[in-house]
Amino acid sequence: MNFFSLIRIEAKKLRRSKILWILAAAAFLLWLPSVLNSHLNFEMQAEGISPEHNFLIQGLLGMSWFLFPAGMVVSTVLLNLTEETNHGILKMLALPVRPARLCLAKFVILAVLAAIQILISVGMYFAGGAIASYTQDYPLLLPPLFVLREAGLIYLAAIPMLSIFWLLSVCIRTPIFSIGVGLASIVPSVLIINTKAWFVYPCSYPLFVITAEYGKLAANLNTAPVELVPWLPAAAGITLLCLFISCLCFGRGR
Amino acid sequence: MYMIETKNLTKSYADFTAVAGISLHIPKGAVYGFLGPNGAGKSTTMKMFLGLTAPTGGSFRIGGKQFPRDRMRILKETGSFIEAPAFYGNLTGEENLDIVRRILGLPKSAVSEALELVGLSAHRHRPARTYSLGMKQRLGLASALIGRPPILILDEPTNGLDPVGIHEIRTLIRSLPERFGCTVLVSSHLLSEIELMADRIGILNHGHLLFEGTLDELKFNAASQGFPTDNLEETFLALIESDNLQRGGAR
Amino acid sequence: MSFYLECKKMKRTGLVPAFFCGGLLAAAVPVLNMAFRSEMYLGLDAPPIQILMEANWQMMSMLNILLVTAGACLMYHTEYADNAIQRICTLPAKESRLFLGKSAFLFLMCAVILAVEAAGMAFCIFHWFGHFGGLWSVFKSFGYAFLLMLPAVFGSLWIASACRNLWVSLGISVVCIFTATLLPVKNFALSLFFFAMPFQILADTPPQAARRFMIAAVAELLVIAAGELIFLKLRRSFT
Repeated sequence: MNFFSLIRIEAKKLRRSKILWILAAAAFLLWLPSVLNSHLNFEMQAEGISPEHNFLIQGLLGMSWFLFPAGMVVSTVLLNLTEETNHGILKMLALPVRPARLCLAKFVILAVLAAIQILISVGMYFAGGAIASYTQDYPLLLPPLFVLREAGLIYLAAIPMLSIFWLLSVCIRTPIFSIGVGLASIVPSVLIINTKAWFVYPCSYPLFVITAEYGKLAANLNTAPVELVPWLPAAAGITLLCLFISCLCFGRGR
Repeated sequence: MYMIETKNLTKSYADFTAVAGISLHIPKGAVYGFLGPNGAGKSTTMKMFLGLTAPTGGSFRIGGKQFPRDRMRILKETGSFIEAPAFYGNLTGEENLDIVRRILGLPKSAVSEALELVGLSAHRHRPARTYSLGMKQRLGLASALIGRPPILILDEPTNGLDPVGIHEIRTLIRSLPERFGCTVLVSSHLLSEIELMADRIGILNHGHLLFEGTLDELKFNAASQGFPTDNLEETFLALIESDNLQRGGAR
Repeated sequence: MSFYLECKKMKRTGLVPAFFCGGLLAAAVPVLNMAFRSEMYLGLDAPPIQILMEANWQMMSMLNILLVTAGACLMYHTEYADNAIQRICTLPAKESRLFLGKSAFLFLMCAVILAVEAAGMAFCIFHWFGHFGGLWSVFKSFGYAFLLMLPAVFGSLWIASACRNLWVSLGISVVCIFTATLLPVKNFALSLFFFAMPFQILADTPPQAARRFMIAAVAELLVIAAGELIFLKLRRSFT
């Protein structure tokens, strides 16, 4: 069986799980306050950012700080429990499939869910932005390519974070600890992005990247720029290490 | 006197009827075998007795008490095992039974007694999630039998047990009316087991009660309709097939 | 007895150590903040408890709410995972008592984590502010925080009891928590959302407003409890 077939099988296991509804609800609630408070975008003269840029950035900040990472913790719970309930994992491990491949396939599904959450959020941005533009009589929507670029940056920056969450869910068998550590790791991001060692804390990557973009778009705001070195080597190293350990430990407890 | 009595008991869902107006009569102190193919409505009927699902029509009494008015009193006197063992995986067998004991207000000795009855004493200190299928089944039975309730509702109690285990549980169920004055409603697919255990049987198919009575009465009825009577399995299959044909070949 | 049984059911789930570790983590927030940035706070003209709470409470209460939510979802997950709840429903035990027993357990856990956090705060006041009379203000602040956290406990348990799947209850709770973080803390009506109440700070709140919040917390407890009872009855009627 080739790897892509395995990914398709893993994707099928998510049928009727209602995860897409949860991600959609999250995206809806992300942009609803932005639409209701759209008048505040015209009071950002001190920061020197245009209303349309502010409308996008504020939503992306909320998403990258909490909603997106928390959504991914929930997704790891889904991926694990789908196997644990009714002992599906025992069946999988008893089939001629290497556990490491199964682990990687599940990680790919997690990455796909992350992409879906971001795409749904982008869709809701356009819907919410259209409504806010109408109510404020001002074009608050930015070009799709620009929006997709920003969303793409969040997604790429989040891959090391996904690998950490996946490692936690594979290695920590006690659900409260894997969920608790995952959710708790989100909270300090807002402090850590203000330190020089932010690059060693993958959960802060999406927030750091969007904060840096905020700094670029706001003329009077100084934020730390993204320095590819040492960030990229650290990110790549952490991702590879986490995936390697996950593949080693997957299914071991059985 | 009937320990369990139903009157046109019905359970309908949006697109089908699981139980269609059945009237059961289970005498006190009897072992009543509840037979039927998969999807006949046996588990649904048992769930209605325990209040796990609400009837859409008809009524029933258990131990002289009316559902739903006397539901808590019914549950206090009814031990049950429905579909599959239900337990807390993180607790040991003993701890699982201790929870049931405390809710029923039973003495501490009830836990050891129940574990002895089902042969699980040696594994009482292991977490239930580490049990084999047979051990989980025994734990479920122990949970039903704890405190020697006057009424027992058992849904496929011998599922997953080895031949020795099946024999043990069958002997136990058979002895319960005499030892503890229990009335037992037991469903099973193992017709040979029901033949050895039950005083009376009820046969369900597509939610309808096809027959109720003793095994001798079943043989007499079957003979008068031209069905084979050599053993329960052949009679049962003939009855079900005839009913299915009458319904237009539905399976 | 329900409380005792709920405590028993939590054996080998790791819930109690997780709460304790979570409390320690939250207690470390003001300590680390003061250790690295004490110069920012020592010069401020306000009571030490107000300075510390304003600087740290958002993060501490976020950790607390996440812990309570995860705990509530997990408590009901142990009921649904191996179908134990079906067994409980066939015993003379009401599902509402199950809910109240779990609430009592979580109330106790909240008290434990807040006690640990209060100790952390008291240490900061004593060590950095040299304030020996700060204990009463710490006690009042955390007592207020405890009362305002109770509706979040009830709310999380309500969501968890409604969903058989852990990821669904966790997902809904996480979305609700995010919504709470967006609500302005100073707006009384919006702060009444049960996940938003734990973010309130006593030292920051005028006495009359604090009284209104406390009354609102008690009222919410009654409303959510009534809602849960109605929900359980409706669920039983429709199965």
